Amino acid sequence: MRHARIIFDGRELDIDIDTNDRITTSGGEVLDVALDSGDITWLPPVKQPGTIFALGLNYADHATELAFEPPKEPLVFIKHANTLTGHKQVSYRPDNIEFQHYECELVAVIGKRGKNIKREDAMDYVAGYTVCNDFAIRDYLENYYRPNLRVKSRDSLLPMGPWIVDRDDVADVNNLRLTTEVNGKITQDGSTRDMIFDIPFLVEYLSKIMTLNPGDMIATGTPHGMVDMQPGDTVVCTIENICSLETRIVSEKEYYGDKY
Amino acid sequence: MTANTLVNSKLVCVALNDKSQLVALEGTFNEAPYKKPPTQPVLYYKPRNTWNVDGAEVEWAKDFAGNDVQAMAVGASLGVVIGRETCRVSQAEALDYVRGYTIVSDFSLPEENYFRPDIKGKCLDTSAPVGPEIVPADTIDNPDALTVNVLVNGEQKSVFPLANMQRSVAELISKISWIMTLQPGEVIAVGFAGERVPVARGDKVEATIEGVGTLTNTLGGA
Repeated sequence: MRHARIIFDGRELDIDIDTNDRITTSGGEVLDVALDSGDITWLPPVKQPGTIFALGLNYADHATELAFEPPKEPLVFIKHANTLTGHKQVSYRPDNIEFQHYECELVAVIGKRGKNIKREDAMDYVAGYTVCNDFAIRDYLENYYRPNLRVKSRDSLLPMGPWIVDRDDVADVNNLRLTTEVNGKITQDGSTRDMIFDIPFLVEYLSKIMTLNPGDMIATGTPHGMVDMQPGDTVVCTIENICSLETRIVSEKEYYGDKY
Repeated sequence: MTANTLVNSKLVCVALNDKSQLVALEGTFNEAPYKKPPTQPVLYYKPRNTWNVDGAEVEWAKDFAGNDVQAMAVGASLGVVIGRETCRVSQAEALDYVRGYTIVSDFSLPEENYFRPDIKGKCLDTSAPVGPEIVPADTIDNPDALTVNVLVNGEQKSVFPLANMQRSVAELISKISWIMTLQPGEVIAVGFAGERVPVARGDKVEATIEGVGTLTNTLGGA
């Protein structure tokens, strides 16, 4: 089963999607609408987002691309709900920057509270998976708490969704093709098997530091293939057997409107 | 974990906002890996598992082998509580968005450097007490004139006049609001004395700001 949050017919709804793409609301109502309908507004799929962990440099090829040695310990940073936006929504490119890139990432959504979780029990704490695009503004990197909040915590720069796939519906999460297309052209093509630290490792690692709670998310890093984004670009991040996440880039002025 | 009704969604802390600390570290910051002093506020989150309340115990942290850590440290800050949605506001209007003020204590492992996000040191369960209450914004004439004091077992260990901050409260609200939209109830810890105070198991820690209150917590594991 897949789970999402949408606005449809003026109502904000929690929905389930079955293998026939049939949509049922949490109240049991069957919606007569296709998944790709323009009448659906997709919201970020986690209803009460908690702590969002994101991994830097978790694919060896991406680390090489950035001229780093692969890390011996996870490079983890935290993001907040202000960054989240849904499928087919917009993200903005700040004015006067040189380089903004996408990062297509597999997200593990935590479903159960736990601390000091052992690796062999870790998957019991994962409710399911989704896809995110962890945009970064590289111009703003400074070597303090790198990557800092100015690079990674900007409004709308963490599209996620469109849905969460139940953990048990994904046979081998460590062998999924991961691609990004910019304006229809593939620019990133990798596999989750190239992760340095896998999901059980990350759940064990983080839960030794702190209690994990339902609604917390772990964005597991991205392979190589960074390309600069411009307003007007459409980027689609896809992970096999999970979902495809589409985002359109707009200018800072278009995004903030009268707050610009 | 103790739920904290004073914080909603986000507790963002400002590091390296003590002028004397920046001066002391200038040489270090001109070398690798930093290469130059910070040009923008250095920010970190205390996530929701860290939130705690006045009067509560702060857990003594354990290392990855499950043993008690050797050392912990505390800093205290004025906490600015946001009153309405704050998006891209000017420094001149920033204080209009403040609902009130409180105190944030930040219990951490001692910092080894400022290069990478310090998840291990800063995200410890129960390590961010906030309180004891929110005093209304209009009861504080000038937040930059306040002084943050830390006492351990009744003894004064740290005095940090906010006049020594590299960036004022209004400047920080403005700059942060250009990075991220802030929502009502979210809290900014605006700055800590550069020298964090070492603490031991069983210590009683009081963070106090005249006109804002006293936030009292004890460390567990004694």
